[in-house]
Order: sequence, then C-alpha cells, then structure tokens
Amino acid sequence: MSVVARLDEARATRRQKALIAFNTATLQLGGKTIIENLDLEVRPGEFLCIVGASGCGKTTALRLAAGLYSPTSGAVTFDGEPITGPRREVAIVFQDYGKALLPWRTAAGNISLALEASGVPARERSSRIAALLRKIGLSDHADKYPTEMSGGMQQRLQIARCLAQEPTTLLMDEPFGALDAMTRQGLQDEVLSLTQMSQTTVIFVTHDLEEAIYLGDRVIGLLPHPGRIGIELDVDLPRPRDQLATREHPEFLRLRRQLFDFIKATEH
Amino acid sequence: MSRAAILWRIASILVAAGFIAAWQLVADLRLVSPVFLPGPDRAWAALVRGFSSGDLASKLIGTLEHMAYGWLAASIAGIALGALIGSSRMMRAYVAPSLEFLRPLPVSAIIPVAIAMLGLTQGMALFVIAFGAIWPIMLATIHGFAAVEPRLYEVARSLQMSRGAVIGKIALPSALPDILAGMRLSLTVALILSVVCEILAGLDGLGQWVLLSARAFRSADLFAGVILLGVTGYLTSIAVSLVEQRMLAWQSTAR
Repeated sequence: MSVVARLDEARATRRQKALIAFNTATLQLGGKTIIENLDLEVRPGEFLCIVGASGCGKTTALRLAAGLYSPTSGAVTFDGEPITGPRREVAIVFQDYGKALLPWRTAAGNISLALEASGVPARERSSRIAALLRKIGLSDHADKYPTEMSGGMQQRLQIARCLAQEPTTLLMDEPFGALDAMTRQGLQDEVLSLTQMSQTTVIFVTHDLEEAIYLGDRVIGLLPHPGRIGIELDVDLPRPRDQLATREHPEFLRLRRQLFDFIKATEH
Repeated sequence: MSRAAILWRIASILVAAGFIAAWQLVADLRLVSPVFLPGPDRAWAALVRGFSSGDLASKLIGTLEHMAYGWLAASIAGIALGALIGSSRMMRAYVAPSLEFLRPLPVSAIIPVAIAMLGLTQGMALFVIAFGAIWPIMLATIHGFAAVEPRLYEVARSLQMSRGAVIGKIALPSALPDILAGMRLSLTVALILSVVCEILAGLDGLGQWVLLSARAFRSADLFAGVILLGVTGYLTSIAVSLVEQRMLAWQSTAR
C-alpha cells in the first residue's frame, strides 16, 4: 500500500469517527468567498471553540454545521451524512437572545415551542418544562415574558429551549457576547456542567479568547478573507474547570499568549 | 388611577358638559331656528321616544348588522390576503403596485359600480363596506407579516416546525399588533360606509332614519340618530381596544 493510500485510509477512519466534518468546504455568498477549503472534524462529545477576528467567517462556519447554509463546494457532514438542513438533534443558541425568543410567550411558553415542534404530547409538556426550568435555575420565572427578564436570564431561557430538543450537539454563536463579565462566567460554568454531564458535542463560537480556552477541549483560530483555519490548539487543562485555578494555570497562560499573538498577527 | 389621571378625567367631562350647555344655550336663545337645531333636551326626548316605540332600536340593529358583517368580511379577507402577500417577498413585489392604485381610490366612486352590478341590495352594501374596510386591515397585515423578525424564522427552521405551525405560532402572533390596529381603524370606515349605503340604497338603518328625519324637518329625531351613530362609533372602538389590550397583554410588560 502506498503512503498516500495509507494516509487517505487514516483520514477516512478519522472522518468516520467525527460527528461533524467539514470536507474542503467552501461557501460563497453574493460572489464573495466567506469560507474557503475548510477541513475540520469535530469528535463526538468534544467541546470545540472557534475564535477569530470579526468577519473571519466563524459564525458562517457554525451556520454551515447547523444546516442553515449549504456549502458551495465540498461537504459538511453529520455522522457521515451530508447536512441538508437543520436537524432535531442539533440545537442552535443564537447570540441575540432578544430576537430569538418569542416576546408573546412566557418563559414556559418559549420552552414549550420546542416541545410542540418535536411532537411531545400536551400532558407531558408541563412536567418537562418544569424540569428544564429547574435545570437552568428559572423555576421562579416560568410565567414571566422575556422582556421582563435580564439578558442573562433570557439567554439561559434560550439554552433551555435548545435543551428541550434533547440535542446531541449544541451550536453556540457568541452566546455570552452581550452579557456582563459576572453573568458570563456563571453561564460558562453552567454550560460546561450541562454539556459535560450529557456528553453533548459543542461547537462554540466566541471572540473572547480566554473564554475559548476556558471552555474548550480544542480551540480553532480562523484567518479572515476568506475564512480558513490559521491555528489549532489542543487544550490540556484538567476538568472540571475552575474560574480561578484554570485561569491561573501555566498552560492556560501559555495558550492565551499563543492565541493572542495569533489574533494580533491576523489584524495587521 | 393616579391623582393627575383623575383630574384629567374630570376636566374632560367638564369640557363635554360645557359643550352640551353651550348647545342648550344656543337653542334656548333661538340663535338657530328650532326647525333646524333642537336643544339637547329635545334630542334626548326624541331618543327616548324612538327607543320606546322600538323604531330606533330596529334601525340601530340594522346599522350594527351592516357594520358587523362588512367588517367581519373585510377582516377575514384582509388578514388572509395580507398574510399571503406579506409572507412572500415575490408576492409583495408583484402585487404592491396594484394595491397602490386601488388603495387611494375613493370608495364612494365604487358605490355606483356596485349598485349597477348588484342593485340596491344588502349584498351591494356588504360589498361596499367590506371593500372600504379591507384596506387598513390588509395593509397592516402585509406590514405585520413582512416585519416578522427573521431570526424567529431561523429558530423555526432549526426546530423543524411545519409551515402551518410557523404561520400560526410565529408569523400570526408577531403580526397581531399590526392586524388589530388595522381592524380598529377599519371599524370606523365600516360605520361610515354603512350609513352611506343606507342613505343611498334606502336600507334599514340609522342612515335611512337620519335622511328621512331631515327630509321631514324632524330635527330632534335627526339629532337623536346622529348622537346614536356617534355613540355606536365610540363604544365599538372601545370594545375593540379592550380586546386588543387583552390579546396583547405581553406588550404592556415591555413598556
């Protein structure tokens, strides 16, 4: 067997193991190439973070994985199958929680939307809604409308709605970008405990480099115009992560330095 | 109610009472001949007399019927067409120019056409009222459906909601504030056109009552009819506003 064939075979087995795989995926929108020849594999249960300067196509990559965009060439696959559209086991947490929630439905009603969509019978819904509200600490706010809730609570509500889909994969698009630092740290830990427990695969897009290292098993840095992978870092930090200990860990600081240098270089 | 609100309410009642007193004064001093202008006392007496004889009540019901049927027909057709046009960008592009031509067309110009085609019938009245009342509802619905937050459609896609569910659970509730505002506006249009149709086609209703009273120089009866029309417009508008507030309770929390 030639070396090339062996390499191909190795790549094939790795791809088989991947839950989501970008296979030289290219996306053009309105004549502009947003993503070019992206090769990326996400293993089941992995927490992958994508960072990059604004306009580097990180949100676009997420939307490709979500099935909201289809690649112009190449392929994006889920469990070996090409992604043709959104699927129930993949949930998307949007950055703009204020727009992604139904303002005319209460917290309970917003979670109910996902249950209704997956055909959960009406009599089972209320108990599942109560359980989800408890899971994210909104039990006391079931009857509040989104506009009566703080930003952090609204984003928690959106996450609860996504969990109602019982997803194997969570796609999160800068979910904490609009929140203050304290709220953000609390939600980071909540997302970690929710996803680690259930072995959920996560692709997490952020512009906060420390957040990426703190959360991820692996961090991908994208280069802009067109979007492609510029750096790939494995994060070998002990779990469970801790807001103080992890952020003071020498490995954390080393990765942070590396990532900052990379981002700085892309901006010039 | 706060102190200031109560004071404003009292002030508004005082102004209304002042108007009625001035009207009484003008009538008593015979600044206008009593043949043309009855005082509020005579108008009130005519109102009571009209209701006790049952005549005025049946005319009121006639007008309310014309108004309600026309308004309901306009609402159903306006919401359905508006949803169809508003939810598709292509439809908006195709249909918008025709709408821009039809919308400013005075409905009174349609009446002779409707009479020629349908005769002096209830069907003609229904058509004219519905045609006039459909515009505020349809245009508001088009706007409401066109202005649905695109992110919500993405949420619907990611939840794999059916087309019916997307319309019923996302587009319609999102457009509801616009739709209800349109329905409130068209209520007034429906009342105006009911009266016009009754006058032109001699259909049973307050319009006919007002016309016949004026022709017979029964000014008190005439004013009784006019007052009743004003009250009808006021009360139906309040009723729709109450329904609106109830259905849009979620909005009050945002303010």
